[in-house]
Amino acid sequence: MQAVSAFLIPFLDIQLLGLVAAGTFAGIYIGAIPGLSVTMAVSILISFTFAWPVYPALALMIGIFMGGVYGGSRTAILLNIPGAPAAIATGLDGYPMAKKGEAGEAIGITTVMSFFGGCIGIIVLALAAPMVSEFALKFQPRDYMLLAVLGILLVGSLSGESLIKGIFAGAFGILIGTVGLDPLTIADRFTFGFSELRGGISFVAVMIGMFGISEALVQLHDVNKAAVRQQISRIVPSWSTITKYLPLSLRCSGIGVIIGALPGTGGDIAALMAYDHAKRTTKNPEVPFGEGAREGLVAPETANNAAVGGAFIPMMTLGIPGDAVTAIMIGALFIHGLNPGPMLMIDKPDMFWFIVGALTLANVFMLIFGLTGIRFFVKVVETPRSVLIPVIILLSIVGAYAVQSSLVDVYWMLGFGVLGYFMKLYGFQLGPVILGVILSRLLDDNWRRAIISDQESLPMLLKGIVTSPLSLVLFSAVLFILLAPLWRMVKARRAA
Amino acid sequence: MKRTAIAALLGLGIAGSAMAQSYPAKEIQGVIQWGAGGSTDVVMRAVTPHAEAVLGGKVVMQNVTGGVGAIALNRVADGAADGYTLLMGAENPLLYKVMGLGQKDYSDFTPINIIARGIPIIVARPDAPFNTFPEMIAYIKANPRAVKFGSTGPGGLPSVITAMINAKQPIQVTAVPYDGDGPALTALMGGAIDVMPAVLGAAIENIRAGRMKPIAIMDVAPNAALPNVKPIVETNPEFRQYLPWGPFFGVFVKKGTPADIVAKLQAAYNAGAKNADFQKLMDNRGFLMMNIAGKEADDFLAKWQSTTTWLLQDAGVTKASPAQFNIPKP
Repeated sequence: MQAVSAFLIPFLDIQLLGLVAAGTFAGIYIGAIPGLSVTMAVSILISFTFAWPVYPALALMIGIFMGGVYGGSRTAILLNIPGAPAAIATGLDGYPMAKKGEAGEAIGITTVMSFFGGCIGIIVLALAAPMVSEFALKFQPRDYMLLAVLGILLVGSLSGESLIKGIFAGAFGILIGTVGLDPLTIADRFTFGFSELRGGISFVAVMIGMFGISEALVQLHDVNKAAVRQQISRIVPSWSTITKYLPLSLRCSGIGVIIGALPGTGGDIAALMAYDHAKRTTKNPEVPFGEGAREGLVAPETANNAAVGGAFIPMMTLGIPGDAVTAIMIGALFIHGLNPGPMLMIDKPDMFWFIVGALTLANVFMLIFGLTGIRFFVKVVETPRSVLIPVIILLSIVGAYAVQSSLVDVYWMLGFGVLGYFMKLYGFQLGPVILGVILSRLLDDNWRRAIISDQESLPMLLKGIVTSPLSLVLFSAVLFILLAPLWRMVKARRAA
Repeated sequence: MKRTAIAALLGLGIAGSAMAQSYPAKEIQGVIQWGAGGSTDVVMRAVTPHAEAVLGGKVVMQNVTGGVGAIALNRVADGAADGYTLLMGAENPLLYKVMGLGQKDYSDFTPINIIARGIPIIVARPDAPFNTFPEMIAYIKANPRAVKFGSTGPGGLPSVITAMINAKQPIQVTAVPYDGDGPALTALMGGAIDVMPAVLGAAIENIRAGRMKPIAIMDVAPNAALPNVKPIVETNPEFRQYLPWGPFFGVFVKKGTPADIVAKLQAAYNAGAKNADFQKLMDNRGFLMMNIAGKEADDFLAKWQSTTTWLLQDAGVTKASPAQFNIPKP
């Protein structure tokens, strides 16, 4: 009973209702602008809401979080520039749809599926948080390493025509990710004596350059071609469409919740893994992947919004952040006089149910705001290229600068933009590069942690993998994905 | 650049005191050395609004991470000494020189306020086969390399505490590096490591919940938050030589900032640190308030640097000897 009344607080208090709505609305736009991130917005809010009581402060932050994760898909679909790393996978099939005049439909599917994923994430948070967090704690360094290897294997799904070029691009991404001061040994890696390189190359700058600038340069090829007219007949997907993708969206929500709940992985990896899952399990998509497959939108969008609820699971049950945003929220709770930790849910159950309530409300507002104004947004794609291209370049520059107020990031962004343009021209996909950058540290750090933990002995590490059920499952998945194509080749040869 | 040039011209034209009277005439930038949500970030974001009220100006805080905080330090050191850029940092810069991370440290800055210090505590997973510090040492000696200690890289708190232990009780452990004490404590709860030297504040809630057990408080006095845990000096008085020791948080400006501006900032942060709400917050989190400035702060920094760098030097983890930088031996 107490839980229900705490859950309903944000719905019944007009001020809190307004703050969640305002947060969600602002979040969608912050999320959509490359370079402005939810993490940044929430950390600024800490100083801004310092003197507020804790509920209104959290209401605003939760709205921004929910809206922001969804908002990243907007620019990914309309301009092929993901507003946030979690939206990278969305652009892979969303942008081809926009190019065909189906931007309205793409945004419609993304919105409804984000809402669906958000709901699943919240339900799991509400009903199974302690169980999921105990499961997440079980992940040892070797399991994170295996998870990263699984992630690296996504290169196969993102490579396009040439696997070799995909592997090259992925390896290049991993290399970019290793630049800077190694956090484990504080040794310089690939810094060549430049202190500017010690902080590493900003991942967001690479992403904005590779997607934004390279796309603008590619579009310059046919700057005079008229833009595609967008059909805006179908926006909200029909009920039959939703039920058709229900099994896939449920599975992808599951991926999202678990990856989101793991401290150390977040919505970006969840979305890419879900995309890969969709591509592997969908036998005959109506439209091929990479050309506007609906499954390619459903999977990442359910996963990254489910990861929001997932990220709150370790935060509420153990005081451990599930991602960068929940890390800041833990700081906010502390500033507001609470003690985030394993006792919070026992001492202050109201706080837990309030957060569940605010998340639910933010999810509803996300659906409402997401489905309104689409007609206006798809006009972006219809804008003449001579106007659109300068705007994309300007947005990219502002976005790269905003990350750390550093001009160095702008130079990186421009450099990677030009590089990305040539890579595209020569048939290299950019997805694997970004994948490599995202997974670089996860793989490198956890490989080293795993082998150090086992006293630098490979047999001990292997023994650990085969004796732990969790590691064994992950290891088998890696082997399966690696060996399945070989098996198919052998079978095909025998048949021939 | 242009703004700096104008400020420099103004600085030449108008006497220092006139500048201080109008200070702050614009927004002040606070550069936080560590990421959002970390201890340094939280402490700075909690104290600064109280200081702003006294200062009558706005401090806009930004996290500039990377290079163990050196990127942020260099950014402030490269700026103007006009009091419009504050460095909000922790203890790490005092180790940059010996760890080969940079040529600058807090000697290039004027301390505005050393706000508080953390108390180190050694915690272990609840089912570890030892409960006290002597038991732990005996177990490690009986099982060399088998016990996994969490670490946060050379120069971090765990490496200093481990160096202290090694100096008095040589032990062989496997040090597993993590990104910070948060991820390492998570690993401790998951059983990936056995022991973690951490700050009391980061571990306290988990100790209360029984998810980890305290082995020893690395301090000279017991702590009110954990009255049943003995300070290390009760079982092993030989550690008195290094203690009290702990990571700290402070606000700094570039050396050469006009004295009256420094005084204004010092007064503001002094009042901020005295705020009852803030003190309660720090208490809850297990930090010890210091609130010192001026000569007291300079002495504290010098002593801290001397103790820690020589300890690390003797443990063999430094890249250059403290003697090279004229850091006196304790």
